[in-house]
Amino acid sequence: MEKEQVNAVPALSTPWTTRERVAALGFAAILLAVPLFETRQFVLHMFSLVAINSIVALGLQLLFGFSGQLSLGQAAFYGIGAYTSGLLTTKLGFPFPVAIVASGVAASFVSLLMVPITRLSGVYLAVSTLGFSILVYLVLKNEEWLTGGTFGFIGIPRVSLFGYVLRNPAYSYLLCVCLALAVYLGLAQLERSRFGRAVNAVRQNEDAARASGLPVTLLKSQCFVIAAFVAGIAGSLFAHQVRYLAPDDFTFWKSIEFLFMVVIGGVGSLFGAVLGTAFVVLLPEALRGIGQYRMLVFGALIVIVMLFGAGGLVGFLRSVGAALRGLITRNTKARSGATLPRAAPHE
Amino acid sequence: MGQEYIWDLFVGALAIGCVYSLVALGFAMIIRATGIIHFAQGEVMMLGSMSALSALWLLPKLPPGIVMLVGMVASAIVSVAMELFVYRTLRLRRIPIMNVITATVGMSIVCINAAQIIWGSEPLRYPELFGSGTYGFGGVRISPQLVWIMGMGFVIMGVLQLFLKHTRLGLALQAVAQDPDAAQLMGANLTRMMLVTFAITGLMAGAAGVMLGSLFFSFFQMGFITGLKGFIAATLGGLGSLGGAMLGGIVFGLIETFTAVYISSAYKDGIGMVLLILILLVSPTGLMGLWKKSK
Repeated sequence: MEKEQVNAVPALSTPWTTRERVAALGFAAILLAVPLFETRQFVLHMFSLVAINSIVALGLQLLFGFSGQLSLGQAAFYGIGAYTSGLLTTKLGFPFPVAIVASGVAASFVSLLMVPITRLSGVYLAVSTLGFSILVYLVLKNEEWLTGGTFGFIGIPRVSLFGYVLRNPAYSYLLCVCLALAVYLGLAQLERSRFGRAVNAVRQNEDAARASGLPVTLLKSQCFVIAAFVAGIAGSLFAHQVRYLAPDDFTFWKSIEFLFMVVIGGVGSLFGAVLGTAFVVLLPEALRGIGQYRMLVFGALIVIVMLFGAGGLVGFLRSVGAALRGLITRNTKARSGATLPRAAPHE
Repeated sequence: MGQEYIWDLFVGALAIGCVYSLVALGFAMIIRATGIIHFAQGEVMMLGSMSALSALWLLPKLPPGIVMLVGMVASAIVSVAMELFVYRTLRLRRIPIMNVITATVGMSIVCINAAQIIWGSEPLRYPELFGSGTYGFGGVRISPQLVWIMGMGFVIMGVLQLFLKHTRLGLALQAVAQDPDAAQLMGANLTRMMLVTFAITGLMAGAAGVMLGSLFFSFFQMGFITGLKGFIAATLGGLGSLGGAMLGGIVFGLIETFTAVYISSAYKDGIGMVLLILILLVSPTGLMGLWKKSK
């Protein structure tokens, strides 16, 4: 009888509804069409950076939003990926496709060393990942023979795919977007799978999840490794996008930025991670006009967005949408003379 | 490397450890009372340091005690203002704790950039607050700066302990930290207690800021890394434990100083981090947990 209950858990992933499919396709189409309308190099470069950063943010969303593990060390994996890719392509002459996969593998391999800390919870996990992030930064800064130290790592080639060098910023933008979309879809599928549901259970109540027979530690470590893998891939893209690496791109502050992206966008929402990334990457650029007050305003805006609650920007947009829908339905109902009370918007 | 040198290092490590302890105490007290990791604690410290320096510019003849007091009060005002205008609002709207923590980082960005606009980006030299020359202790010569900083650090921490153990307000603070609901039923005003917590942690951060400034420099980014180290020290001690925070700060100061001299100055922060991770792996609740386990 007990066995039956175990088997009663559906092993299939939650199917996508038509509406979700249309939304996803529309979103992808808009992103891919951007270079048709926007040809300024700098803008495309910024958009590429949004795509690259959002890959890390998506991974962190899996780690923090889905499995509830707070990491303040994603910049370390991002940095490991970036430097791995830089080293492989410049010093060993590997082609880009090999380097990017190797970057992800290198980052996840290093994260395997860190897996024992996933048994720590909450703030303790955050502090250990923070410590790890500082450690990696120090290695990048001090091991000059390998990383170029504070002078930076120069001469990283542009991305070349099958003998064709992506010189046009529009093409490198498309590459970044395609990879970001692939990571997005992969994680969205993961969220809907049995694995995603298990991870969700672990976040909500670790003890209950363990009592129901879920391998809690394994699930948590898997999330940790996947997040590191995607951060490594993003690091590789970053290396070939800016073609110059300095340790200061991978400080603890960068880890905090990734966390900002997730929390600002909305904890637990993949789309939120992308929105949050756009906010964190583009806003300081957009605020250049106000000069020295730029970061002051940026900090204040972050505090204000926090007022929206855990939903972040996505939650805010959703509640705006719900309010608009409410307004429309109320109007139609008023016209048809219905007096049904409106459902209270849930928090 | 004579014994004298080691003593000199040791006192220096204790002095810097006291600074970390004071910041760590702030982290520990706030996390106990509100559950927030207050990432702007380092910036509260920095603003106190800057304000005290400005007071010195206006009145160069101020005695060190008053300078310290100015820094402490300035930090307390900043800290209380943050609680009143930001964190309280967030709490009243029942915003999840992670968002409040992110907001504290936002506040820290605001403080850093405000300080850069007001005081500029250059490191600002502090005058030697506590006299120059050396003190001799049984043949060992030690800078009075270090001795005073260490002494003041210990006095402040002692006063805090007395306050928490022997005054009504202090006991109420402890009660709120242990069980907010029960404390509230007993008549403790939660909202006021949080304000008091932020005021006290601000006072301590201000003292730390003046100490750190007089040891090195004062500049707009000084709070960030010091705050981080204070946070790590608080975790090292076992988050939320006040004794642990003090111990953590001093241990961190010792590790950092002696690593820099004997192992590698480039990796002086790194060794501390490795030890931190190892300690947490052995005892997931920090040094205090280890202490209790061995008893």
